[in-house]
Amino acid sequence: MRKFLAIVVCKLGRFVGKLIGKGSSMPGKFALKICPDILARVQLPPHIIAVTGSNGKTSTVEMIAAILRADGKNVVYNEEGSNQIEGVTTLVLTHATLSGRVRADVLLIESDERYAAHSFKFFHPTEFVVTNLYRDQLTRNGHPEWVYDAILPAIHSETELILNADDPLSSCFANGHGKVRWFGLDKCAVSTGAPTGVYHDGAYCPLCHAPMEYDYVHYNHIGAYRCTKCGHAKPATDYTATAADLENGTLTIDGTVTIQLAFRSIYNVYNILAAYAACRECGTAPERIAGVINNYILKNGRMQKFTLGAHHGTLLTSKHENSIAYDTNLRYVASTKADCTVLIIVDAVSRKYFTSETSWLWDIDFDQLNCGHVKRILLSGRYCNDLAERFSFTSISPEVWSVQPDIAAAAAALREEGGEDLYVITCFSDRDKLLTLPDVKKEA
Amino acid sequence: MELKIIHFYPDLMSLYGSYANVSVLRRYLEGLGNAVSVETVAPGQEADLSQADFLFMGAGTERAQKAALADFARFGGAVKAAAEGGVTMLFAGTAMELLGRSITDAGGKVFDGIGLADFTSVQGRKRFVEDVYGKTDLYPEAVVGFMNKCTIIKGVDTPLLTSVAMGYGNEGPGGAEGFHRNSVFASQLTGPILVKNPRLLETVAAAIYRHRGETLPEERPVDRWAEDGYAITAEQLSLRCQSKK
Ligand SMILES: [Zn+2]
Repeated sequence: MRKFLAIVVCKLGRFVGKLIGKGSSMPGKFALKICPDILARVQLPPHIIAVTGSNGKTSTVEMIAAILRADGKNVVYNEEGSNQIEGVTTLVLTHATLSGRVRADVLLIESDERYAAHSFKFFHPTEFVVTNLYRDQLTRNGHPEWVYDAILPAIHSETELILNADDPLSSCFANGHGKVRWFGLDKCAVSTGAPTGVYHDGAYCPLCHAPMEYDYVHYNHIGAYRCTKCGHAKPATDYTATAADLENGTLTIDGTVTIQLAFRSIYNVYNILAAYAACRECGTAPERIAGVINNYILKNGRMQKFTLGAHHGTLLTSKHENSIAYDTNLRYVASTKADCTVLIIVDAVSRKYFTSETSWLWDIDFDQLNCGHVKRILLSGRYCNDLAERFSFTSISPEVWSVQPDIAAAAAALREEGGEDLYVITCFSDRDKLLTLPDVKKEA
Repeated sequence: MELKIIHFYPDLMSLYGSYANVSVLRRYLEGLGNAVSVETVAPGQEADLSQADFLFMGAGTERAQKAALADFARFGGAVKAAAEGGVTMLFAGTAMELLGRSITDAGGKVFDGIGLADFTSVQGRKRFVEDVYGKTDLYPEAVVGFMNKCTIIKGVDTPLLTSVAMGYGNEGPGGAEGFHRNSVFASQLTGPILVKNPRLLETVAAAIYRHRGETLPEERPVDRWAEDGYAITAEQLSLRCQSKK
């Protein structure tokens, strides 16, 4: 009876919520009040895929949904991104019959790293994808090992883990776990010999703290690691990017499947690989996956094109407090050829809470912008001085970078002068402060 | 002068941009006309502390901290002797805990610190996370920073921050934070606290000079970006403190 009531209340709440434009966690919250173990009492779909990790969750989930839907599966997922237990409850119950059967083939959940254990108390994913774990939002997460410890209790022994073989930390989830499928990237055109970046979180083994060695690296400390003491090493992969050419935008998986990259970033390669692995585990054919990804444009708009005066602009959305997101975007700018200006904006460190915390700027490898075609760098926003202090410790000539606290003034100055390519690197919390300016014309 | 900085475990204890404390101090000392060398020490590597002017260790994860401690124990005697002799040092984030009597991890296991000070550290399963706005008796300006720790530290008689108006101190919300005795500085404020607090940088540099029997010159380089960044953060945090009252 409580189950029935919880489902009805949730459905009603969702209906009303949609009418008045309220978010999706409230109905689930009510349902959980009525029946705390409601998620254990409903009949869930045969596949429950959860995706977690520091970077790439949303992109990976969106790709999985698009592929599985193209494959004729009925996929339910939290498109609004409310990925704590309340949001998951709303999602599940609104798609359930009154008797509690969820009408779907696949339940797909983007799971917040910190809340995974809580969300999966009453049911567990059949497939659990962990994209990676590294420094991200220390103001919430502390550090990657802390996040690792938070996710660990969420992993049920019957769950099949789909893990990134190239990440020395999140690969540790496989220890003592039965079912594991690995995705990873072979040595290829993008590989380097040694870890890159300002800090080196892969210098020591996460298991025994002995020094680690690397055969090759794809970015930062993501690559073929090998502990010198305990044997922790990159495992053989089940789903493998056998070739990746970012310059020409091609990716080959398992030697046979070729994918054209809409966004030529190493990031994107890993997201595609994670989605590929998850969909293959759900029985989707390789060609079907490739077909969808080739025609796929990321919905969440991490790369927005626009014009500003005579400049053709590209907004590369990073996450503040996430140095690897910045590093990969800086790497992208460095890989371009034409003369360009780069505008970096740090105005509100977070859109969710106030903080003046800027230590993450010191984890970003801004030296990547020290290349001939980056003619000019503008630093803007409330924390432009902190950015400038950071830049004063790079090898980039002080002639190249300058500071303009006011974002509108920085844009106005750009409009007045020059027509070179423009790259803007900032976060969701600050991007609209530029994109909504009258001089900025967004392109589709 | 020729000055020598020893940076312990730059890879292992490297969270939150800790290394920038060394970068900014080095540049400041060089700006005063000194020749500065930085020697890094990895676990297992030999180091001679007897000629050092400044010792530094940054923040690490709780597991990295135990790995650092396992190695650092062999330097315990030398570090204490250096502190007695007036050598300047800064232990940031979880590195501060190494200076105390003991560290108890979240599972209840106890590790011996080097015992330079009498405080004890107990780690838990919850993190204390907030911006920090506090006072020190070293200079009149406010200290700004950020706290992200899972440790309660008890038994500090001589804190670095005498009180915090916002954020966490050694024993929880409010109260005193960090440790300071003679030329030994320690704080759990994360990251580049010497960048974020130009006065603290000056204070540390003055301590290094004092140990060499010198005083900081009247004419000193001004780091405009650091000063302006500090001013904005201090203003923001001060406004937040007032609105909370
Ligand atoms: Zn190992």
